[in-house]
Amino acid sequence: MQHEDDPLRALMLAGLAGDSVAHAALLRALLPALRRFFRRRLGGRDDDVEDLVQETLMAVHQRRATYDPARPFGAWLYAIARYKLIDRYRRSGRTTSLDDLDELADDFAFAEASDARADLDRLFEKIPQKQAAVLRATRIEGLNTAEAAERLGIGESDVKVSAHRGLRALAARVRDSLR
Amino acid sequence: MNSEDLIAALSRDVPPVPRHALGRRVGLGMVVGALMTLVLVGAMGLRPDLMRAMHGATFWIKWTYTISLAICATAATLRLARPDGGVGGWLRLMIVPVLGLALIGVGELAHTPRADWLAMWLGASWKVCSRNVFALSMPIFAGLLWSFRRLAPTRLALAGMAAGMAAGAWGATLYCLHCPETSALFVLTWYTLGMAGAAALGALLGPRLLRW
Repeated sequence: MQHEDDPLRALMLAGLAGDSVAHAALLRALLPALRRFFRRRLGGRDDDVEDLVQETLMAVHQRRATYDPARPFGAWLYAIARYKLIDRYRRSGRTTSLDDLDELADDFAFAEASDARADLDRLFEKIPQKQAAVLRATRIEGLNTAEAAERLGIGESDVKVSAHRGLRALAARVRDSLR
Repeated sequence: MNSEDLIAALSRDVPPVPRHALGRRVGLGMVVGALMTLVLVGAMGLRPDLMRAMHGATFWIKWTYTISLAICATAATLRLARPDGGVGGWLRLMIVPVLGLALIGVGELAHTPRADWLAMWLGASWKVCSRNVFALSMPIFAGLLWSFRRLAPTRLALAGMAAGMAAGAWGATLYCLHCPETSALFVLTWYTLGMAGAAALGALLGPRLLRW
């Protein structure tokens, strides 16, 4: 897999597997990136920004089955955000050339995706080293519990506990950083 | 509601998503629709010589045509159901069965006296064929619309068109169980017209019905 280095993708996959802690961490991690994305395009109408952020989060949640794990997470996310933005323009009847909008959004998509990745790297630095190492091994590189245990030289149950605590810690850090 | 509360509410309910959830949902919508279409075909009556026809070539030529179109359109629909999905080459690939059948049609003309061409092309049912294919595709199209309620197409007209085409081609496939026409040119014209009608309807309705 070429996208295994994407921490957001790792959280998404964990969420798809039914891990609600990872899912919450993902949605929180998306907040700043989505706010930036919409703020840049709506020129300071902050109520609209938060509306669109929430609509996008709900779509990410309700339509998560449409994410194809073989494709980059950022492309999926910003396709949804872009759709919500265009839909808003359509609804409000504003005459904006949709072609231009698409182009603009494409320009920013890459920057947004790398921003989000950097955000998560910073978060990983804030949690205990062992938990970060376990999360990188299991959620990002995709090792199973036994492989991760062998790689890190710890027990399998230790891997499971550390992964769980690590996700919790990540979620807490994200909460803190928004306060 | 502030975004933090929203996230907390959304994260309360995170059921696992099976790996092929999207394909299953599209499949379910189509199968339920196709069952209804099958009931309609049953009501119209299966062609009396169905068993014998299944041993002949023309029946399979018709099925190869409609099923290959259906597969292409279904694949395109599956891709367009994702926000970041293009159509790949699937819609363009549909030209292959069309050209193939046209080639068979040319062979047919070569083996038929010129005086019989018109009769062969119009068959016995040209007036109702397209309409029937179109009508039989509607339950499948409705099933797909249901599938799309949880999916995330971003190119709505195109997604609607692909869904309409898939419904049309599967509808035509089932119509083959009723329709006894044997000419390739007949199928190429009247079947294709019915499928194209379903695709056009999908393209028209997509932007209205597939919004989310």
